[in-house]
Amino acid sequence: MKRVRGMVLWVATFLLMVVMCVPGLWVILSAFRPNREILAKPPVWVPETLTLDNFGKIFGWGAEQIAIPVGSYFLNSMVIALTSTVIALGIGMAGGYAFARFRFRGKNSVFLGLMLLRTVPGIALSLPVFMLWSRLGIIDTKLGLIIVYVSLNVPFTIWLIDGFFRQIPLSLSEAAQVDGCTRWQAFWKIEFPLAKSGIASAGVFAFLTSWNEFALASQLTRSTDSKTLPVGLLDFTAQFTIDWAGMCAMAVIIIVPALILTFLVQKHLIAGLTFGGVKG
Amino acid sequence: MKGLRTLLVIGTALTTWTAGIAAAQDYGSFPGYTLRVKLIGGAQYEPLYAEIPKWEAATGAKVEILSRKNHFELDREIKQDIAAGTLDWCVGSNHTSFAPQYGDIYADLNTLIPKEVIAEFVPLVIGHSTVNGRLVQLPRHSDVSNLFYQKSLYEDAAKKEAFKAKYGYDLAPPDTWAQVKDQAEFFAAPPDFYGFQFVGKDEAITGRFYELVVANGGKMFDDKWNPTFNSPEGVAALQFFVDLYKAKAVPAGVPNYTWDDTGLGFASGSVAMDLDWGGWSAFFNDPKNSKVAGNVGLIRAPKGTAGIRTGWSGSHSFSITESCDNKPAAASFLEFLTGYDNQMVEASKGLLPTRSKVWDDATAKFKADGNTFMVDVFSTFRQSMAEDAFTPPLIPEWIEVSNVLWPKLQAAMVGDMTAQAALDAAATEAATIMHDAGYN
Amino acid sequence: MIRALTTRRTDLAPFLLLLPAVAVMLFVVALPLLFSLWTSLTPYKLTKPASLYVFIGADNYLRLLSDPAFWVPFGRTVLFLTIALNLEFALGLGIALLINQITWGQRGLRTIMMFPMMFSPILVGFQFKFIFNDNIGILNNALQSLGITDQAIPWLVDGWLAMASILFAEMWMSTSVFAILLLAGLFAMPRDPVEAARVDGCNPWQVFRHITLPFLMPFAFIAMTIRSLDVARAYDIVKVMTGGGPAGRTELLWTLIARTGYENAQMGKANAMAYISTLLSIAFTVYFYRKLMAARRFMGGVQ
Repeated sequence: MKRVRGMVLWVATFLLMVVMCVPGLWVILSAFRPNREILAKPPVWVPETLTLDNFGKIFGWGAEQIAIPVGSYFLNSMVIALTSTVIALGIGMAGGYAFARFRFRGKNSVFLGLMLLRTVPGIALSLPVFMLWSRLGIIDTKLGLIIVYVSLNVPFTIWLIDGFFRQIPLSLSEAAQVDGCTRWQAFWKIEFPLAKSGIASAGVFAFLTSWNEFALASQLTRSTDSKTLPVGLLDFTAQFTIDWAGMCAMAVIIIVPALILTFLVQKHLIAGLTFGGVKG
Repeated sequence: MKGLRTLLVIGTALTTWTAGIAAAQDYGSFPGYTLRVKLIGGAQYEPLYAEIPKWEAATGAKVEILSRKNHFELDREIKQDIAAGTLDWCVGSNHTSFAPQYGDIYADLNTLIPKEVIAEFVPLVIGHSTVNGRLVQLPRHSDVSNLFYQKSLYEDAAKKEAFKAKYGYDLAPPDTWAQVKDQAEFFAAPPDFYGFQFVGKDEAITGRFYELVVANGGKMFDDKWNPTFNSPEGVAALQFFVDLYKAKAVPAGVPNYTWDDTGLGFASGSVAMDLDWGGWSAFFNDPKNSKVAGNVGLIRAPKGTAGIRTGWSGSHSFSITESCDNKPAAASFLEFLTGYDNQMVEASKGLLPTRSKVWDDATAKFKADGNTFMVDVFSTFRQSMAEDAFTPPLIPEWIEVSNVLWPKLQAAMVGDMTAQAALDAAATEAATIMHDAGYN
Repeated sequence: MIRALTTRRTDLAPFLLLLPAVAVMLFVVALPLLFSLWTSLTPYKLTKPASLYVFIGADNYLRLLSDPAFWVPFGRTVLFLTIALNLEFALGLGIALLINQITWGQRGLRTIMMFPMMFSPILVGFQFKFIFNDNIGILNNALQSLGITDQAIPWLVDGWLAMASILFAEMWMSTSVFAILLLAGLFAMPRDPVEAARVDGCNPWQVFRHITLPFLMPFAFIAMTIRSLDVARAYDIVKVMTGGGPAGRTELLWTLIARTGYENAQMGKANAMAYISTLLSIAFTVYFYRKLMAARRFMGGVQ
């Protein structure tokens, strides 16, 4: 009886998830269909043609080609998202550790202040950041975007990692220090390994944010030196036309790496977000 | 010495001139120079850029493409550049509707491009490219809208009979906007089929409204730049859109439509008539993309109540910045991009050329290839480009005025306001903009 | 149990550790904000660089205060955020509770659950623009094929439907964030109180209402706070789906700011709006943050 209930629950949940995913699955399916079938009236429900033409167009092995340097975009996106994630994690770990392990004056205000700076809408920042970056000569560079994304991700990373370090009993680190470790060694040997999943989940969130960000990237990037995949999506829109099938193909290229990464760190992700995942 | 120089100048001019005709031009020599450019991106514009290595080989210069974006993104980027003082590039894609906003950042090409070269372009389009007497851009290709329709609908005997019985005249592709309205209402069978459609937001609807105001004999502004689009002609123009919308002769979603929606909508086979840009022609007749391929008819845009045809037009173009460090190289590049050979390349993809000779030769080429549809497209669009085309008022405030106007046009369409009230409200706001900008 | 290390008053360590974080936030956010504060006190037009040096005091702000074209979108934005965050929370909670019951293949289901998070907001905008298209959109086609309606429902035009469609897109994109955080909360939940309540004869609803939900509240507020940090990314969606139209029916602060600042080039006025909108974001964040602190205190936990 309990097993039947479990099965029903599982199927129901699975179906719910599928329904939830339908709008996204439609995009992915559209990547393999010609425009004529996706946006048709009367609708074509069962795909008549499944084709790789939309990918062929982008990568340049199809009959019809549109010169979209998707290779550069992919590389830019990877470099920018990974670098900014790693830096944000480094800064976030330092900050989170400071908040979790030290008592100092104005601690709450600093914490709240960091969070509030994150709330400034991108649209409000776009012009001033652009002006500043152009003075510094880092418009249209990966570096320029990396710095911005680090700042987008630092507050949340600090938050998560702070919560995580708090859950690790102080006694562990103190014990290590009694055994002759420096505080630094104690951190690397005891606290860091325990906080790993917290760091991993912060990393996934940071990566997804950078990987998918559009508003600021569209302002600060210009050429193939720095344009990222979401910005590249707009290459499919000309003044009068949108190649929706082509866009969907590009969407698949954007989604798949993110999906793989998420699946791989899934275990750590939940544990990391659970804050109290480590028994104390 | 002076004599020699004059001789040289004449010589160069002469070479350019003869070369222009022979289509094997001398683009000059700029070895080691890197020309920094910003180009409009997008599938239909890219084939031209594949030709750039030819210019590099001919001149010894390099072209560095700093950015490649659609026009709205590029517009934003150029405004940022003006703001940040980073106009450190030479050549940029431009558009006749956008150009007036940029003030004097672009050089007057009358001083940089030989007169003979400019004379090879369609005169009306050169006129559209001129702001305050300065030729700030060299047109690359033009666009204007004509009326596409599904041929089979007009050949159906039962439909012909029913139409005549109801409206008292023969069913034929419409010559006036009043007929468009009749036929749109006649063909419409929502939600499966619609008689007509139009773009319903942004500058797109402003433009459509504007051309109908002109076709009805009205004006957007009087001589002192006071808004006059709330005149009876303007109200009639807006009422046309409102009536079609209320009668459900157009899709219910049109207030949110832009160009891609109308184009894809017509290609989906669910719309009888579509006033649309020349650039769509090839797409509409391509069986891979369109369900109406082989069934596409085309006539010149219909006339308004004043007997004028609608002809809102714009041309894509290239400009040279005033701050450019090597204007001769930039000018050479512009001549190359808009030259005969390259316009032939773009025309073969269906873009409307700006050089008179390319109109001739591209049409002849389509004829030779047996592509009667494109021959028809080119002759129709050539006529409207030469006779009907007009631009929006070439003032920097156009987009700003448009942005107060189009939400009001929508308000009338969806029934929040009457046409008169909507236009009066927009005119008041537009008057403030014009006043603040120092016109009156 | 959780104590901070006793530190000497002159200990620089925490400040050194925090320095990079503070520096990057000041540099990327605070410094540009100072600049935009200045521009909001000028009639700055992007295309007229000289206008940056004309000081007009609070004129931009004063004009906005009496401008319904600003306050209507402002009110709409507040309403939009309130509804979106609450519905996302409710839905996310439901999903989290369901998945929490599943033992077999949970990792896969969790990945599926996070699927919408892989979509860039700009992509979500395009996707729903096409799905909600009245004529060739998949939704109306489906409704018509199933015989539910014979109308072409103007999803993106009708006053309420347009806002609801945008809300749907926003919820589709962000509910997962709530679900994953709440699921994490459920995982962290001690089993004992639940068992004890069951033994005492509480029904499942009572267990949920009095044990599970209070325990989850801190996680809910964390999710709310985190989401409110990032609400402005809904801009991408609205921009693509409706651009604020028709007739301003879906105009939110962010679309208004972008159009004023870039298309109309009135950056001074746009930055004044942006400042007010920043205050709004801050208000939301502070509200949830205080709730979070209160909930944590209530739980007798950290802080």
